[in-house]
Amino acid sequence: MPALFFYLFAVLLVLASLAVILARNPLYNVLALVVAIFALSSLFVLLEAFFVGIILILVYAGAVLVFFLFVVMCLNLNAAVLTSVQQSRFRLLGGVVGLMFASSFFLATKSFIAAQAMGPSSVRGTIETIGRILFTDYLLPFELTSLLLLIAVFGIVSLAQGVLSTGKEKGN
Amino acid sequence: MIGLGHYLLLSGIVFSVGIVGVVTSRNVLKVLLSLELLLAASNLVFVAFSKFNGDYAGQLIVFFVILVAAAEVAIGLAIIVLMYRRLATIQADELKEMKW
Amino acid sequence: MVDPSLVWIAYFAPLTACALITIFFLRSKTWGSLLAIAGILTSFVCTVLVAVQIFQSHPPVEFQQSLTWIRLETLTIDFGFLVNPLAIMMLLVVTGVGSAIFIYSRGYMAEDPGSPRFFAFLSLFAFSMIGIVLANNFIQLFISWELVGLSSYLLIGFWYHKPSAADAGVKAFMFNRLADFGFLCGILLLWGLSNTGNGRSFLFTDLAQAVSHISPHLLTIVGLLIFCGVVGKSAQVPLHVWLPDAMEGPTPVSALIHAATMVAAGIYLLARTFFIFEPCATALTVIAYVGGITAFMAATLAIVENDIKRILAYSTLSQLGLMVMALGLSGPMQGMYHLTTHAFFKALLFLAAGSVLCALHHEQNIWKMRGLLEKMPITGVTFLIGTLALCGIFPLSGFWSKDEILALASQHNVLLYWIATITSLLTAFYMGRLFWTAFWGKPAASDHTHESPAVMTYPLIFLAILSVVGGFIGIPHFLYPQEAHQELNMRVALISSLVAVLGLGLSYMIYSKRPGRDPLETKLGPLYSVLKNKYYFDIVYGWYVDHVQQSFAIALSWFEKTFIVGFGVHGLTAAAKASGRTLRYLQTGLVQFYALIFVLGAIALFFALVIQL
Repeated sequence: MPALFFYLFAVLLVLASLAVILARNPLYNVLALVVAIFALSSLFVLLEAFFVGIILILVYAGAVLVFFLFVVMCLNLNAAVLTSVQQSRFRLLGGVVGLMFASSFFLATKSFIAAQAMGPSSVRGTIETIGRILFTDYLLPFELTSLLLLIAVFGIVSLAQGVLSTGKEKGN
Repeated sequence: MIGLGHYLLLSGIVFSVGIVGVVTSRNVLKVLLSLELLLAASNLVFVAFSKFNGDYAGQLIVFFVILVAAAEVAIGLAIIVLMYRRLATIQADELKEMKW
Repeated sequence: MVDPSLVWIAYFAPLTACALITIFFLRSKTWGSLLAIAGILTSFVCTVLVAVQIFQSHPPVEFQQSLTWIRLETLTIDFGFLVNPLAIMMLLVVTGVGSAIFIYSRGYMAEDPGSPRFFAFLSLFAFSMIGIVLANNFIQLFISWELVGLSSYLLIGFWYHKPSAADAGVKAFMFNRLADFGFLCGILLLWGLSNTGNGRSFLFTDLAQAVSHISPHLLTIVGLLIFCGVVGKSAQVPLHVWLPDAMEGPTPVSALIHAATMVAAGIYLLARTFFIFEPCATALTVIAYVGGITAFMAATLAIVENDIKRILAYSTLSQLGLMVMALGLSGPMQGMYHLTTHAFFKALLFLAAGSVLCALHHEQNIWKMRGLLEKMPITGVTFLIGTLALCGIFPLSGFWSKDEILALASQHNVLLYWIATITSLLTAFYMGRLFWTAFWGKPAASDHTHESPAVMTYPLIFLAILSVVGGFIGIPHFLYPQEAHQELNMRVALISSLVAVLGLGLSYMIYSKRPGRDPLETKLGPLYSVLKNKYYFDIVYGWYVDHVQQSFAIALSWFEKTFIVGFGVHGLTAAAKASGRTLRYLQTGLVQFYALIFVLGAIALFFALVIQL
């Protein structure tokens, strides 16, 4: 049974990621990524990493990708802008490079691919277990990330100042 | 039996798709989205190994990666908006002031 | 026993003086001269001490000490000294006469602003010359040989503002260099052929044994090649043309380098390495004839010269020819004996000439001089002593040494004996011409010349004394103690004395009346212009350099411009520019392109490191 779910979500993930890069409309790109995140989260749950799975949906799909959607809407991409986006001149080379990468990855992890059983399932990533470790062994990184977010906010505000001022000058 | 290898293979495929997206996208938004795909694939590998090794560290790394990814996306989008205001386009090729 | 440190002090004292002057005292005239004199006197004192040590034992000691300078598998070059009676006698001459000339120079160069530089060069020369005398192997000798040539160039062209002096310096150096090419070939050939118990060697002591294993034909070639070096350094025909022009240098230089020591180095070399020449009759014959021809030619050229220094220069050439001839006739003892006495009286003659020049403000034409004997008594008398010694008048030193050579020639080669005798006649004639014209008679009433200061006259007196007693102190016995002393050949002695008196008398008859012009100009007729043009040697050399040499140089210059500069230098710049132009296209300014290259790089790295393809 777990195998069936795995294959289901795996196929969904792959298809969604393909859609991210192949779709024409930027809205479809973002929505495809949302689907991919959902699939990924399900795979996390299969691996008993419940906490990170939920966090993925809450933070990633819920905040980050919504922000993406905001910006896509905000830019008001009309048909003219969209059709002017031509095909990249690197698409053949890019495809080849992707294949090369995939094959090298395959070669690297050959020893693991012989289906080994997953290890002891004593690891259950619940809120309790993760929380305990987070606030004891990994307290310092945890605190530092708050600082990081503060810096990010600074960065965005200073970048946005330019946008706001030009927006005001243009009378928007 | 689903083993570690399955997860690794899956992650590899998603990562490759992400690479192709980064390299071949004309649209800068699509480039940023492909970057997110790369991060997602890495997260999958971390969690899979965490389960395999019996160590929580993998999942904690994922936690932090998500955090940092959020910050990075925010700033990236701000830059894209600036670019659109300046060049009135979101084609990656237009950013070529560093050309020889 | 011999104390080696004395030898090393004697070797390096002048070099220390040169270094000190160059580094610290280039502006101080007093310190410059004093340091140089101190250096050479130190060498002289040490030499005397070593000589005493050498001659204390019977038979006298031969002493060698050397350090290994370069040691490769097949090649060993030493740095050291070989002291034997021959070397120590030569060293006494070099340092002794050198000391006198250094002291004299203090007075001669007193007004010259470049005097410290002069003394630095002189000290360098002294060091190099001592190196030649002491060297115990061919390579060290050759290095000192070249250094001596360099010092000579520096000193001839000392007044470098004068174009004639600068040219003369270059000429001397070039002819020396040309000869040294042959010399070096000879050295290397000899080294290649030598086969001592443990491989090849440059050491004289080793080579002396090795020559017995080398075939006489090859040894002849070696000998002739080494003789090339002698031809250049000792100014034999055909490479003699630099010596008369070398008189452009200051007179002490002419005295020390071009009369007493440097030009004698060739003869010393022949004597030192005589073991190479002994078995080869052909080489010896060549050497003897070259010497004889040089002696005769130079004497003929001296009789038409009007510059006092040039007359003395040709006289030196002639006497050198005699010495070389003596060595060619297997008489190293006779050659070295004459070298020693010649050093005494030729240095004396040059220094006296210098004294005259100083007093007359560098007027060198003998026809403008008159009655100097009365005005400058010390200079005049010493000059007369030198002249008589040079002509070979009994009982001065020149008589004894020249006589030995003539006796040797009469025994071995009658033709060369008569050439030498006629040369002696000519020698007496032109020296007499010089003396009667410049020193004899009454000076003009308005002549205000006066004698030179003591710092210049004392060396003259010292050298005059040596010229007088030189025949009686038994020099040959010191040089070659093993050889039995030969009896005086009365017939030869009488003929040579007669010839000398004849020459002097003839010149008295023609020149003591002070004719308006040189009567030789008319009496010799067409021969006069040939002699005036120095047998056209310079013209031939000049033509060769202008046409043959120059064309070759132009061809090489073209080759260099096209291939080395054109392909090499400009080719490299063109290649750099072209590669720059092509690599530029990597800078597209597109971030995605860079990301692509990233990934390609990562894949390549992965394949290289992990899979190791």
